[in-house]
Amino acid sequence: MIDELNALLAQAKDELSKAKDEAQVEAARIKFLGKKGSLSAVLRGMGKLAPEERPRVGEVANSVKAGIEDLLERAKTQVADRALEADLRREKLDVTLPGRPQKLGHRHPVSQAMEDIIEIFARLGFHVADGPEIEWDVYNFEKLCFPADHPARDMQDTFSLDAATLPPPPPGAPEPPTRILRTHTSPVQIRAMLEARKPPIRVITPGKVYRCDSDITHTPMFHQVECLHVEEGISMAHLRGTLDAFAKAFFGPHIQTRLRPSYFPFTEPSAEVDISHPLCGGKGCKVCKGSGWMEVLGAGMVNPDELTGVGIDPEKYTGYAFGVGIDRLAMLRHGIDDLRLLFDNDVRFLQQL
Amino acid sequence: MKVSLNWLRELCATDLPEDELARRLTFGGFEVEGRERRRLGPPGDVVAARIVTSEPIAGSDHLTVCGVDDGLGTHQVVCGAQNFRVGDLVPLARPGAVLPGGQRIERAKLRGVESDGMLCSARELGLSEDHTGLLLLPAGTPVGTPIEEVLGLPDTIFELNVTPNRPDALSHLGIARELHALTGVELRVPQAKLSESGERIEKLARVDVEDAKRAPRYVARVIEGVRIGPSPARLQERLRSCGVRPISNVVDATNLTLLELGHPLHAFDLDRLAGARIVVRRARPGEPLLTLDGKQRTMSEDDLVIADAEKPVALAGVMGGQTSEVSDRTTRILIESAVFDPAGTRRTARRHGLHTEASHRFERGADEQMAALAADRCAELVAQLAGGKIAKGAIDRYPAPRPQTRIWVRPARVSAVLGTEVGAAEVKQRLQSIGLRSVEGDAQRRLWAVPSWRGDLTREIDAVEEVARLRGYDTIPVVVPKAGVGETAAISPEQRITAAARAALSARGFDEALNYSFVSERELLALRPEVKPVRVANPLTVEQAAMRTTLLAGLLQNVGRALKHGEQDVRLYELGRVYLPRPSEAYPAGDLAWPMDEPRRLGLAAAGHRAPRSWAAPHDPLDFYDLKGAVDDLLAALDVSGTYAPVEEPFFHPAASAALTVGGRRAGVLGQIHPSVARTFDVPETVLLAELDWELLLSQARSLRESRGVPRFPAVARDLAFVVSADAAAATLLAEIRAADAKGLLEQVTLFDVYRGAQVPAGKKSVAVGLTLRAPDRTLTDGEADGLIAKVKDRLKSSLGAEIRS
Repeated sequence: MIDELNALLAQAKDELSKAKDEAQVEAARIKFLGKKGSLSAVLRGMGKLAPEERPRVGEVANSVKAGIEDLLERAKTQVADRALEADLRREKLDVTLPGRPQKLGHRHPVSQAMEDIIEIFARLGFHVADGPEIEWDVYNFEKLCFPADHPARDMQDTFSLDAATLPPPPPGAPEPPTRILRTHTSPVQIRAMLEARKPPIRVITPGKVYRCDSDITHTPMFHQVECLHVEEGISMAHLRGTLDAFAKAFFGPHIQTRLRPSYFPFTEPSAEVDISHPLCGGKGCKVCKGSGWMEVLGAGMVNPDELTGVGIDPEKYTGYAFGVGIDRLAMLRHGIDDLRLLFDNDVRFLQQL
Repeated sequence: MKVSLNWLRELCATDLPEDELARRLTFGGFEVEGRERRRLGPPGDVVAARIVTSEPIAGSDHLTVCGVDDGLGTHQVVCGAQNFRVGDLVPLARPGAVLPGGQRIERAKLRGVESDGMLCSARELGLSEDHTGLLLLPAGTPVGTPIEEVLGLPDTIFELNVTPNRPDALSHLGIARELHALTGVELRVPQAKLSESGERIEKLARVDVEDAKRAPRYVARVIEGVRIGPSPARLQERLRSCGVRPISNVVDATNLTLLELGHPLHAFDLDRLAGARIVVRRARPGEPLLTLDGKQRTMSEDDLVIADAEKPVALAGVMGGQTSEVSDRTTRILIESAVFDPAGTRRTARRHGLHTEASHRFERGADEQMAALAADRCAELVAQLAGGKIAKGAIDRYPAPRPQTRIWVRPARVSAVLGTEVGAAEVKQRLQSIGLRSVEGDAQRRLWAVPSWRGDLTREIDAVEEVARLRGYDTIPVVVPKAGVGETAAISPEQRITAAARAALSARGFDEALNYSFVSERELLALRPEVKPVRVANPLTVEQAAMRTTLLAGLLQNVGRALKHGEQDVRLYELGRVYLPRPSEAYPAGDLAWPMDEPRRLGLAAAGHRAPRSWAAPHDPLDFYDLKGAVDDLLAALDVSGTYAPVEEPFFHPAASAALTVGGRRAGVLGQIHPSVARTFDVPETVLLAELDWELLLSQARSLRESRGVPRFPAVARDLAFVVSADAAAATLLAEIRAADAKGLLEQVTLFDVYRGAQVPAGKKSVAVGLTLRAPDRTLTDGEADGLIAKVKDRLKSSLGAEIRS
């Protein structure tokens, strides 16, 4: 009888492993465990057994029943899982269809560069100072040591403004109240020093500037950042240090800087500053005309006359200043070859950067 | 400025190779911006040859066949030029020669006549654009001499950038002085060796200077019996290589002296000066002058003129006049070597729209001491080139010689400014190398006398710059200044707020634009007729003639252009200033006053669709609520709350535009463009626009927010649907719902459906809202929630006549 029971378990195992769906599992359950099922049939023979055999056979019968129940449970899960799998596969996605699009906007390369520059200088201890773009002629030129009727003014072709369309000058404004579109961010030097009254002064001024000039390499409006540092004991070595730190932070640690003597009325000594060309790494290429260097900014030690003009003693304090064209830096960084693209606002261009 | 290296080496005989010379000059402050090699190919290809015979070719109106002797024999050459005679010396390019233009000379037949080479013009030799005839070589040139030798070639021309503070360097002598200082090689200053064989000058001419302020020095020399003709080819080449057109021996002599010494000169035909007089005076208002460029000019009282006894004959320091111009018939000349006031010369040159070699130098400041030497050198050269007798003596009107400048220089100051130790001995050596003379002093401080040509050196700092320049900026160490504790600038609230706003706009798909600050006035007035813009007095184009009073003009142009390019969807924003003719709010008065108001604005423009065309989303057009959603996101990014109300703006669609109010103040407007404005800008009528007051938003925004924690008790969500008048504004509905909530339990109200149409009576709309109720300190009971909902329903019924649906 024990053998019969064990055979029953083996048969159930075999049949259930072949069950394809829930109905077949149910049929197996009725066949093996139903009231008229195989197990009941076997157990009906219990009465014929000797009384001492009954407990042992009963034990086996219980374990076989439990075994079949377990098999049934597993078979049920299995066919259900299989059915689910089959079901899931019925609605198959084409994963190669494009994703659902949502366009992200793009920052303008000049404002990106400007933000980076502000952050770099913040680390060096420079605060952002602001000034007007429609500026007093006196601050744009005279206070920066450009004499009237001097050819130095030709270095910066100036947009003047129709006086009849301007509001009356505010009280206490500088004399004469001639107003122009500032040709550089340098007048903010004057404002920053007038406002601070006393060094140390460390400011940068990003902003728009205007020159009456338009060709492949000039637009009538462009962007500059002015940097001014006035303090006791400041030397041209600090100018070189700040420039070098800035260039490396902006373009990368491999960038070199070099200074060439030049002339700006408001700095003395004055320098043009070149950086090793970020695209060719200083090896020389078509863009840098083989020299490996690009002229990027003008710099120098603040002219003592400028300091005197804003009431700062040039014997006690010295300073350096420079003005860098942001548009040019942005072009270098992104490999933009036409300056005018920056102000066309062609979305096909803007969305590249 | 162009300088010839051959010429330069005559004045400072440095044997440094060309590249090294360029490097030294560039790093000495004279950037070499360009180089031109002037040469004619291998020697022997083109040689001096004498024309021995010349016969016209039958059947041709201009060709001649010449016999030319090149020292090796006589060759037959066909020539098309007319400007020669038998006996003239001309360049002969032999067969096999390759000319600078790439032309290869071969034996050829022209009109059936054999031609054994080519006779050349200056243009064919790559020397200039002159193609009026053959280049005539000086008599006495041995035939067969390579043409390079005749012309003083090969040579290299440097194009130097001379900064406006260095008029002394606008000559070969000036650059030679620099080379001397940079290399230590001896400088040879040209001297004049005059033979004055004529009359005394006072008998021949008279000079009166009426305005010595504007003409501090006036030197004149006279030469009689000159013969006008061309200069030797070598000197012509020298002029051409420096960018000056050869004219005649006398005029060329003045220009060669200018290029050599840097001092502008002018030659007058003495016989055409009425009364043989020079009067340096202010012009009378309206006085006419026909200048050398053929223009009839009208003088102003501020113009300084050179006049004769009757009339102006030259615009002083700028340009000569035609009536006294040296011509072929001239035999007696007066050479002017003067110094004119820089500012006055500049005013005159600008007034007449002129910029000449002379005005360029006088504007920057000429050397008063050089005037005499330049007159002598020029007279010597004229006598050499055009013959004649130099009158005895010179007229020199120099009533107030400029005192010598003296400056104290402290080596310690030099070191302090440069950030590196520079010894007294080095300072001394450097300053001496540029012509300063020590007057007195010791190692701590020394008084220096500045040479007359260095008008730019007036203060100690000028000397510091000279020392720095000459020793090289690369000798200055690189030191990053230390920012002390607390000096490192923090990221400012403004920077944070701006970054947050940009991020929000980027997420909404807006690209950033940067437009010019000036646009056409017509476009500004189409948008903001109430503000009269400030005009640019000298705009480059009318399209850039008015300072913008709104950002929308630029953005509309951008949108229009993008759509024309075939873009489907355009969203742009710009953060920038507008320029309003009214007092500045931040800096209204005093020495820091801004000339006018330049508030920053944030402009938005959008056209196209809500989402890019795709299989996966509907391709619906953008509408007002997309723009409003973007503005809502922006406000959320700035942590400010705003309210919207209908607005009447002439450039907006009257039914689809709103004003934004933040903190009780108007913070901007948004809406759909007015169809007539759309026509003005040639954009579709569906374009959406917003312009916000960035200054106000900045002042209201919070850069860092405070955490409020998360709620500890659950919320109850209820939906409510009701029918109200179609005119009832959503803002009113929401306000009424809020007003019913006396205990502050309404956490959120979401208006999620608005419906008009079937099942809703005409003139009404069905609105559905989702309400989120929560108490901060306990779990709300159903009873509490029901009570509040009942109050909301009552309120909607009583104040708006709402019919509650559910």
